[in-house]
Amino acid sequence: MTQVPTPAPGARKLGLVIDLDTCVGCHACAVNCKEWNTGGEAGILPDYDKYGEQPDGVWFNRIHSYESGTDGHSRTVNFPRSCLHCENPLCVTVCPTGASFKRAEDGIVLIDTDICIGCKLCSWACPYGAREFDEDNGVMRKCTLCIDRIYDESRPAAEREPACVSTCPAKARHFGDLADPQSKVSRLVEERGGVDLLPELGYRPTNKYLPPRQAQIPTTPREAPARPAQGIGAALLQLLDKALSR
Amino acid sequence: MKPAASILLLTTLTGFAYGLLAWLGLYVATGTPAAARLMVLSGVGVGLVLATLGLMASALHLGRKERAWRAFSQWRSSWLSREGVAAVLTYPIVLGFAWSELRDPAAGLARVLGVAAALASLGTVYCTSMIYASLKPIRQWHNPHTAPDYLIYALFSGGTLFVLLHALAFGTGAAAAALSALAALCALIAKRIYWRHIDMQTPLATLASAIGLPKDTPARPLDAPHFTENFILREMGFQIARRHAAKLRRITLGLAFALPLSLSVLAAFELVPLASSTLAVLCAALGLLTERWLFFAEATHVSALYYGRRI
Repeated sequence: MTQVPTPAPGARKLGLVIDLDTCVGCHACAVNCKEWNTGGEAGILPDYDKYGEQPDGVWFNRIHSYESGTDGHSRTVNFPRSCLHCENPLCVTVCPTGASFKRAEDGIVLIDTDICIGCKLCSWACPYGAREFDEDNGVMRKCTLCIDRIYDESRPAAEREPACVSTCPAKARHFGDLADPQSKVSRLVEERGGVDLLPELGYRPTNKYLPPRQAQIPTTPREAPARPAQGIGAALLQLLDKALSR
Repeated sequence: MKPAASILLLTTLTGFAYGLLAWLGLYVATGTPAAARLMVLSGVGVGLVLATLGLMASALHLGRKERAWRAFSQWRSSWLSREGVAAVLTYPIVLGFAWSELRDPAAGLARVLGVAAALASLGTVYCTSMIYASLKPIRQWHNPHTAPDYLIYALFSGGTLFVLLHALAFGTGAAAAALSALAALCALIAKRIYWRHIDMQTPLATLASAIGLPKDTPARPLDAPHFTENFILREMGFQIARRHAAKLRRITLGLAFALPLSLSVLAAFELVPLASSTLAVLCAALGLLTERWLFFAEATHVSALYYGRRI
């Protein structure tokens, strides 16, 4: 059913909170995501031209690095990009088959790859570029929020979190219930002023991003600009330099 | 957006097909001479064959063609599903119309079914247009022009086919050719208005708002996640040089609209009606394929922002 379900009262809203202040852009989350999801029950995540000139493949998580701000006051923003499990997911409603759906009980957006006809319309409907086409199987693929880990009761409770979260060395990724105002992730969003991506498009993403903090201590550029040398010694050196570079 | 051959063929062929069926339906509804029966019936045949070819072409781009039947299930939310349902429902309506025409073209039933066939045909075109018009991340599609424009181009292209059929059956057809010329003029004007609209639009978002920074923060890419192209860049990051787009716009204006317009005017004055209406169909077909290619190539997708592309 590709109509978006109305969440039951008390339903959970599982999602990620990603800290852009502490993310170091190491790609570990993307690698562990690929690793987990290529070995999972849903089947491998394809790679094409693996050892060739144009390697390519399906990834659920992609890490970009940007520079923000103006000269002298700019900073690097490392930015992991994956499905945000939106509350208003156009990728779900455009699906003609019912393969793309949002779960009523926890808000996870999934693809039933046994039904998907591979028309790619859902990827056109997602402004975040979160869906990638599996050329080998002719179906669309996307982040599952590691549904096969978070509900796996054979794992110790502490390990029931998505692969990307468990692997992050900077503790920049957090997983939890964003419908519960008391949860760790909700409190983080509250304290740090977590934001939606592309709020102007109205998809109401579940995942939130914590913006980079402002520097607390004024910093000066580490390298002092070169000062022109002065005096007789400098003049002699310049002469020598000229003679040698002739 | 990447212009996929199968989708260009689908929308162009179904435009011709459903446009022609709409013309035939309305033609019969307004009361036709009994001599037109053969023309109407062969027109229905041409329309259904073209529509079927277009719908089959659309299945070519599916990753799992054998599951295509599943696309009829989600008509409550999906315009793609509605397009499929409308296309399938149009068959019995058009066949019923053909049957009533065969029985008695002058009967009220043929007239009513003519209107029904026209509505079903245009309804299918409307569903197709709404697939594009409903996609919020693409400003060149998600606007009030897309749906009316698709209907106008369908009526225009189907009109050129109708005039050709009329010329084949009766040698002339001044009234039809004049109407077809009018449709061509409307299509030409609609396209110019559409281009003006998309040229004046502002981007839907900025890179800063895409990565959660305040909207007007300057931001630029440092490192991309991968060195080679991926699905997102191939499908959504398609870019066309402005120079090429301008050239293709001129070709579209001339080939798709201006030439068929002039040829229809010729036919309306009963000057070489058969030759001019044949040429008009060919120009409209090639021109509309170019137009459809541009409709995709000029469309930009918000997700391309993440790769530093302009949207």
